[in-house]
Amino acid sequence: MDRPHSEILSILARSKGAALKAFGETLIPQLGDIDVQKSQTGLVMLPMRDTAQGTAFHLGEVLVSEAQIKRGDLQGYGMRKGRDLEAAMAMALVDLAMQSDMATEDCHAFVSAQKQLQDAEDHTTLCEVEATRVDMETF
Amino acid sequence: MAYVATRGGERAIEQSERLYRAAMGDITEQRVDEVKAAMPYLIDRVMGEASLYDEDLAALALAQTGGELFEAVLALRAWRTTQPRLQVAAPIAQDQLFTHRRISAAFKDIPGGQVLGPTLDYSHRILATDVLNGATYAPEKVEAADKPSSAYQPSVAAWQAENDLLDLPVPDDTKPEDIPDVTREPLLFPSKRAHTLQSLARSETGGALALGYAAMRGYGQAHPTVNELRLAEAEIAVTHPNGTTFSAGRVKVSQAEVVSKKGEKLELGFAATLGWNEVKCISAATLDLNSKGAEKGSATEEEFYLYHTEGVESSGFCIHFKLPHYVTFQSSLDAMRDAKAKKSPKPEPAQ
Repeated sequence: MDRPHSEILSILARSKGAALKAFGETLIPQLGDIDVQKSQTGLVMLPMRDTAQGTAFHLGEVLVSEAQIKRGDLQGYGMRKGRDLEAAMAMALVDLAMQSDMATEDCHAFVSAQKQLQDAEDHTTLCEVEATRVDMETF
Repeated sequence: MAYVATRGGERAIEQSERLYRAAMGDITEQRVDEVKAAMPYLIDRVMGEASLYDEDLAALALAQTGGELFEAVLALRAWRTTQPRLQVAAPIAQDQLFTHRRISAAFKDIPGGQVLGPTLDYSHRILATDVLNGATYAPEKVEAADKPSSAYQPSVAAWQAENDLLDLPVPDDTKPEDIPDVTREPLLFPSKRAHTLQSLARSETGGALALGYAAMRGYGQAHPTVNELRLAEAEIAVTHPNGTTFSAGRVKVSQAEVVSKKGEKLELGFAATLGWNEVKCISAATLDLNSKGAEKGSATEEEFYLYHTEGVESSGFCIHFKLPHYVTFQSSLDAMRDAKAKKSPKPEPAQ
């Protein structure tokens, strides 16, 4: 299944750390020499738009982990909420492998499996939320 | 005011810190995990006031300070300064929030309906004291609906605008990097609206409630009605080096709109924060609603409430009074004694 790059990255960023790290590890031998450009924690400022006057303002910062790797002209990138540098690096490895057309089938399978898990999690949450819907009667 | 350098007390200071920390014992990863799992709303409150979203760090700050909230927020804010800012995300919009709770007290039949989500609003507040006798309190499971709720709920304000009840604002198209940031610029008055809303987002919950409550009780110009209250998760929309925008994950956010019924159209007050904290958002939105035309020095005047709801500054100023003020105090005592001496009648000389 062809997914946009944006969706793949979003799924990888939300994947469970342990599963992502285990999968990323399997890609290292195939990718060979890579240049690690970034592996760090840092902050992403999160703005919001106010609904009263339309003003954009900063809500606060989110701690993220970031990894950026290079192989030839291609760049792999990972950024995830939290302070798990290895998971961010694993995300960058998957991104680089997909851009390098390596282990394509495995990468798509991994992304699809994670997407299914995430959809199921959201479905469960929203079914529980729906149970709290109020049907009001007016007397 | 005069200051004097003093020495001494080094051992006492060291031992006093040990005494404080001894009460908490060993801080382990397991304890941090337990704090995180057991107190999500406290974690949210601390993250919001620290304006730093990371549940692990917030739990660690609480564990390390023994739940002294001001200390926990201070520790988190201090830690925040050690980290580089990597990006500014795309602004989040109300109708793009993955919504867990969305209610309106102003209108019953809002588009999307009223969804209570997680709340104790309608519950009896009863302590499960059996737990203290060895019983386990196991909450009853949610009986989930067959069909999911819609993840993205429409804005109540948009529906009101369609019904000519209010005017929707023109969206601010300031680039994310150019949005005024109170952590990097001084707060000046009259405050930029972006500074006001950011300051309220990181305000101390108790402070926002105290001043917001004053306005609710009548010490303000407008009595609030909750137009929309939303607890949700927001995507962190960041950018890949090749320009692709993607979500780096979701964070919990809460937002409140309160409405004033004065005039021909409805007027909104707004506030939002990181984490789920309804009391703070409703209180802060009430302050926002009441600030226009507020009397200088009143609880709803912008300068007054922004300065007095900043938790790190206010708690820091409060606790600084515990530090030695011997010289200033002694100087005041000298002045008192002098005044007393001058006032006392001089003894009559012996005849």
